[in-house]
Amino acid sequence: MNPNYNTTERELEYSLPFGPAHPGPGNFAVKLRLDGEKVVSAKADPGYLHRGFEKLMEYRTPIQNAVLSDRICVFEPLNWNLVHAQAVDELMDWNVPERAKYIRVVMVELSRIQSHIIWYGSMSKAIGFDTGFKLAFGYRDYILDLFENITGGRVYPAGYICPGGVRKDLGKNMPEKIRKTLNKINDMLSKFEKFDNLSILVRTKGVGILPLKKAIQLGATGPVLRASGLKTDIRKDDPYEIYSKLDFDIPTEKLGDSYSRLLILRREVRESIKIINQALNNMPKGNVIIPSLNSGTHINLPKGEVYVRNECSRGEGAMYMVGDGTEKPYRCKIRGPSLLHQIPVLEYLLKGSQIADVPAIYWSLNPCPADMDR
Amino acid sequence: MIINNVKGSKKMSSQILKTIVELLKNLFQKPMTVKFPHESIPIPGGYRGEHGFDIDKCRSCGLCANICPNKAIKMVKAPEEYGEKYPRLYPQIDLGKCCFCGLCQDVCPTKAIKLTKNVFLSTFDSKEVIKNPVPKK
Amino acid sequence: MNKYLEYQKENRIIRKISSKFKVEVSIQRKRRVWVAVSKKDLVEISNFIKGIGFKHLSAISVTDLIKEKNYELTYHVWSYQDNTLLTIKTRINRDKPTIDSVVSIWEDNAQIHERELHELFGVEFKNNPNLTPLFLEDWNNTPPFRKDFNWRDYVRDEFYNKENKREEPYWDAPL
Repeated sequence: MNPNYNTTERELEYSLPFGPAHPGPGNFAVKLRLDGEKVVSAKADPGYLHRGFEKLMEYRTPIQNAVLSDRICVFEPLNWNLVHAQAVDELMDWNVPERAKYIRVVMVELSRIQSHIIWYGSMSKAIGFDTGFKLAFGYRDYILDLFENITGGRVYPAGYICPGGVRKDLGKNMPEKIRKTLNKINDMLSKFEKFDNLSILVRTKGVGILPLKKAIQLGATGPVLRASGLKTDIRKDDPYEIYSKLDFDIPTEKLGDSYSRLLILRREVRESIKIINQALNNMPKGNVIIPSLNSGTHINLPKGEVYVRNECSRGEGAMYMVGDGTEKPYRCKIRGPSLLHQIPVLEYLLKGSQIADVPAIYWSLNPCPADMDR
Repeated sequence: MIINNVKGSKKMSSQILKTIVELLKNLFQKPMTVKFPHESIPIPGGYRGEHGFDIDKCRSCGLCANICPNKAIKMVKAPEEYGEKYPRLYPQIDLGKCCFCGLCQDVCPTKAIKLTKNVFLSTFDSKEVIKNPVPKK
Repeated sequence: MNKYLEYQKENRIIRKISSKFKVEVSIQRKRRVWVAVSKKDLVEISNFIKGIGFKHLSAISVTDLIKEKNYELTYHVWSYQDNTLLTIKTRINRDKPTIDSVVSIWEDNAQIHERELHELFGVEFKNNPNLTPLFLEDWNNTPPFRKDFNWRDYVRDEFYNKENKREEPYWDAPL
């Protein structure tokens, strides 16, 4: 190249869309500006999956909203069912039966294991480790078979956790089937630990470091915050359902890079298995829904407001509900964890990194475009 | 440099051994997938599939049409050839709008609508998408 | 006496705030405290509560009170030290909604929430560095989440086809 050729830095940069394709980042686009192989700046472009949930929920009764609430995030529908059911339960101020609370915890923890398996599979595929992707999605099917038997559908349980309890009881031999499936998940975890080979370490160690102070300032929650060093979990700090009676640990790491988030994923699945075993051993007998309530009952939401926070598998999922005396909620605001992870945190982490590290950073934050756009 | 190489080669050889052991274990196991449509996994009871409607039990109360979240059920008169025996209004279900949630099954007081296990509903004929209320044969 | 022992942490927080500012407070249950302030004191109070440990802004939300012609803004803040959630409520005028931004206090976390509310409700946040549209593209109508925006008429005029019989249940059905 002629050394006398006069160019400025800006003229050598080019734009590259890390675009909204499905075997890529999902339904979400990032516009990167690159200088050779280094990322100079990144701008997020959300809105491909915006359905207007908060307005849709204002025109439907609570039992119809329970069916709608499992489409807020497709990877973990049972967790969002629980957020909506808890909001209505707290507004109405009624007593949910004990057996229903135990069943809710078992279903939510199974859904959390299944969501972490998707995280591991997508992250392996983005790095290029195809074996991990295929194994992960193969083992996820055993959990979906359980859901098929209990709720009637593999992915969408259609409001199984509804305001007042759950819609149906577990079947006759369900606890043994759940324990057998958990043994298979243990096998899967030991296989994942054997795969911690050099190629995964080289691609994820030291990549995408998020220091603790910046993490709190940018609004990160859940596993991303725990990987940066803060020992906090909503199931212990702000307990709901029966979590205050159960005994489990909170895994944390200090460094805050992609490899630490991968380690936390595996340890959280082990903790969830512990929780499910304790809940199955102590489950009482009784009703599974408030006896005077069936699908055709007319519920009037009283005047008041409530804010419910839950630990979803990606972070803090919350709902703010306002009732005004009629049968439909007046305002229903949904706070998803991915809105903060995908726009401020991602733009901070991608600045100054190499282009080959972009998928490894993006998928280690466990993004879900559906609960960002709602 | 030499020490690094020796350590690196030890790690590599133990890894290769682990991989070969894992390979031999999995070589003689059944695969996780089945070859659909030649074989298939049985669908369990309680699965939410197509609606089965029993017109003799229906009371024409209209509760199913009120509770459907997507407004997929509409109360219409029965087709003309059955008009004499069944003069009231009955539910007509649009399978394209239905989300198969099962609320119509839960709310029906006489259990006239029940969800069956039939999930093979794709078709080339657009008239089959709307289910009219007809008696069973 | 029992209630005092039960809500010790919450009462301590209320005492710290009431000693400096004139506000209305209420305790809903354990770990939930609600505070109502006036619009001009908002930034000062937010600065104070960030100093006593409320570092995590969980959400900002707007409720459209169409009968009283107000917007009600709620700021939900969580403290990792005290394990308590504090909610701050203010009211602003509905026809000209403007308020000072809290970006100077909770930085990037607040900036994203305010950008979303500007697009969907039309609230002007002064001193927010970036209020470009987030979800919608080329939207020229009234902000869509207001209660006087009739979404059914808009969808029917723009997208529906009157000759298609399958769209009939939606024409005259109640909202």
